[in-house]
Amino acid sequence: MIDRDDTLLAARGLTDRDDRLVNADEPLAELQIACGGKVPGMLAVPELLELVRQARGMGLRIAREFGAHDGEDLVTGFVRIHPRPEGEGAGCEMLVENWQRHPHALSAAGEYAEQLDAADRATAGASGRLDGQQRVQLVEVGSPDASELGSAVARDPGRVWTDYVSLQDVSHHQPLHWRLMDGARCLLPGSGRHWRARLLPLGPASAAPVAFEWLLIPDEPLDDAGGGDSEEEQPASLRTRLIGSALTPVLRQPIARIIANAETIRARLAGPLREEYTQYAGTIAAAGQHLSGMLDDLADLEVVEAPGFRAAREKVDLVDAARRAAGILGVRAQAHGIAIELPDERETCHATAEFRRVLQVLMNLIGNAIAYSPAGSRVTVRTHEGEDHEGARLVAVTVSDEGPGVTEEQALRIFDKFERLGRDNGEGSGLGLYISRQLARAMGGDLTVAAQTVDEGGGAVFRLDLPACSNGKSG
Amino acid sequence: MAQAATSISGEDISVERLLKEELARGDRSLRGIAPVLAHMLASHGNAMVSDAIVARVRGMLEHLARQLLAAERPEMQGSHARANPEPAEAVEALGARLAADHFVLGHSYVLAMESHLAERLERRTSIDPVLSPLLQELIASEKPAIAELAMATLAAQSRFIQSQRRMDMPLAELPAELLLAVIECWQNGARDRDGEGVPETAVDRLKQSYDEGASRGGLLARLVSAMGNGAVAALELEHAGLALFATALASLTRQSRDNAVVACHESQAARLALAFRAAGLDAEAIERQFLVLEPGISVPEVIGEIAPDRAQAILARSEARVVDIER
Repeated sequence: MIDRDDTLLAARGLTDRDDRLVNADEPLAELQIACGGKVPGMLAVPELLELVRQARGMGLRIAREFGAHDGEDLVTGFVRIHPRPEGEGAGCEMLVENWQRHPHALSAAGEYAEQLDAADRATAGASGRLDGQQRVQLVEVGSPDASELGSAVARDPGRVWTDYVSLQDVSHHQPLHWRLMDGARCLLPGSGRHWRARLLPLGPASAAPVAFEWLLIPDEPLDDAGGGDSEEEQPASLRTRLIGSALTPVLRQPIARIIANAETIRARLAGPLREEYTQYAGTIAAAGQHLSGMLDDLADLEVVEAPGFRAAREKVDLVDAARRAAGILGVRAQAHGIAIELPDERETCHATAEFRRVLQVLMNLIGNAIAYSPAGSRVTVRTHEGEDHEGARLVAVTVSDEGPGVTEEQALRIFDKFERLGRDNGEGSGLGLYISRQLARAMGGDLTVAAQTVDEGGGAVFRLDLPACSNGKSG
Repeated sequence: MAQAATSISGEDISVERLLKEELARGDRSLRGIAPVLAHMLASHGNAMVSDAIVARVRGMLEHLARQLLAAERPEMQGSHARANPEPAEAVEALGARLAADHFVLGHSYVLAMESHLAERLERRTSIDPVLSPLLQELIASEKPAIAELAMATLAAQSRFIQSQRRMDMPLAELPAELLLAVIECWQNGARDRDGEGVPETAVDRLKQSYDEGASRGGLLARLVSAMGNGAVAALELEHAGLALFATALASLTRQSRDNAVVACHESQAARLALAFRAAGLDAEAIERQFLVLEPGISVPEVIGEIAPDRAQAILARSEARVVDIER
């Protein structure tokens, strides 16, 4: 997975005259994609877009702080924007000097929290009011499948709200502090959907809340067919849900804090310190980052292991996906002195798959190849077309490196969960390849590995097979 | 020039216009008396506006005007060669025009206030206005990028203190929006003066040589941003010095730097206390900072009971404009 590097890190990006981001380094490209954009594509980070427009409009080089939400965390940095002359595309060059990630709960971004609350209020399927002990005082039902909840409250009023719903993930014992209950997942009687509960405190901010605004927000739109199949999904996914969605949000914040503070100590930004201590701080930060990456993987694991998990089916150009993945990892490859050889951008190779997932798999494969290749070597990405033994048309991407390769015995184990092939360097969770293979299979394809002969470079070759997309039609 | 018209009626018009302008200027002075007097009467101790500050602001605006007029000259040579470069009346006219732009005036005032405060802190608590202990540490950082940035900041801060002593304000030090405002004044002034305006090339050259990131404000902001979580260390006035302190306070409380500087004046104690609280300092730390800045002022103890985001919200609602921006 992608490094969550919270240290000083410069990223460069170029926009054209219409404020489209035409090229960007890894963190910036990631933020762009997290904000729903593409590279190349319209600059999707609103804060940056505004600054770029300002600089372009004024024709002046500006330097400003910016903060943006990537959907999960608050990203802050310092950006210098240099408008380029007409001859060089008339856009802007963006130089991001600092890149810091704050989990949004930490950022005290009151404004953002208010927006989230407003969004939750607007989409709530049921809302009401709780007293200071979280007992339901009143409930108003908005969506039809919450009506049973409404009648349950009417039948037996005044109980703690968790008595009317079944909490998922963790067996909470009431009374729990409201902060722990805010955002809890639950199921409603008579509804097949997954719901999220919100508790918004009422009363003075410093004191204990005297009452709560209570919202229940469905996670999925109401399905006409009724939520029949979700009941059998529940028991199977409970195990991983416990790790993923229950632990991840709880751990993310303290870990991010550990990393951020360790980085501050390591960089001696708050004052001078003896050399050994900055090294310890570096170790703490690295370990924290490892944990944080692991959490990301666990959250993904939960998604791919959910029985109902299905990938979207859209027409995906593998050449384009490979080039983007390589583009995003370009800086890292450069830092390792590794060249990435890519298919020609004029080629196309269409698969039926989900673009985001294909990109994730390719980034995992190319990222691994970069990590295990000697400096100065080459990583080759190629696309292939062919048929499987039943005659169905297949397309594939291979990623080959010039590293130590894999033995047959290793190839058998490499896609296992938590398999790290004896590596003990503190990198990786051993989940990346497992998740990638699950993703490939969910898209109707597969992910395999083979060893190359010495002539071919002697490294490993990972092959992502996907069903082909009949030309012209998008699956 | 317009006055060169030979017809009698033409002269009448220009004389009339001159008189009208003079009258308008008189009106402005009269309008200004009440607020200024009221301010002077109301402030005990250090007024926010003093002779020293007024003199500084005037000097800075004149310096701006002088630089702009000088930027015109290379273009004027040949067709409009002028015997007397930057005639005093031209400087004064452009200076007055700049002073009429509240945006420009406000920023000049804040800079004058900052250097005034820095001098006071140096006298009273021997806080070095240029090189603070924190800046020294950042210069010694083992990250070359930070050390370099800190060095550049040191140079810029030293230039700032120097130019404040000379009552100068280099164009390159203005924030981008202000540079644009100044350029607009310049263009309008030139159009009114000789109907032609400033040659495009002169404006382009000025814009091209500008880089906000290399200005003192830009460098300070970049340095504070580079400190990341450590930026809180810059809220220690004695440790950080006023320049870094103000930038860090602005960044941590999401205000403009100008507002953060103004908050350091003794008459703005509530603003400063709220800003400290918004940045997450506790009551004890806030009191310690006030002891350094304004020993005479007591901080209400209840400040510690206001939640930081509440303090932030109160601050955000305050107008906090040095002068009304009538743009």
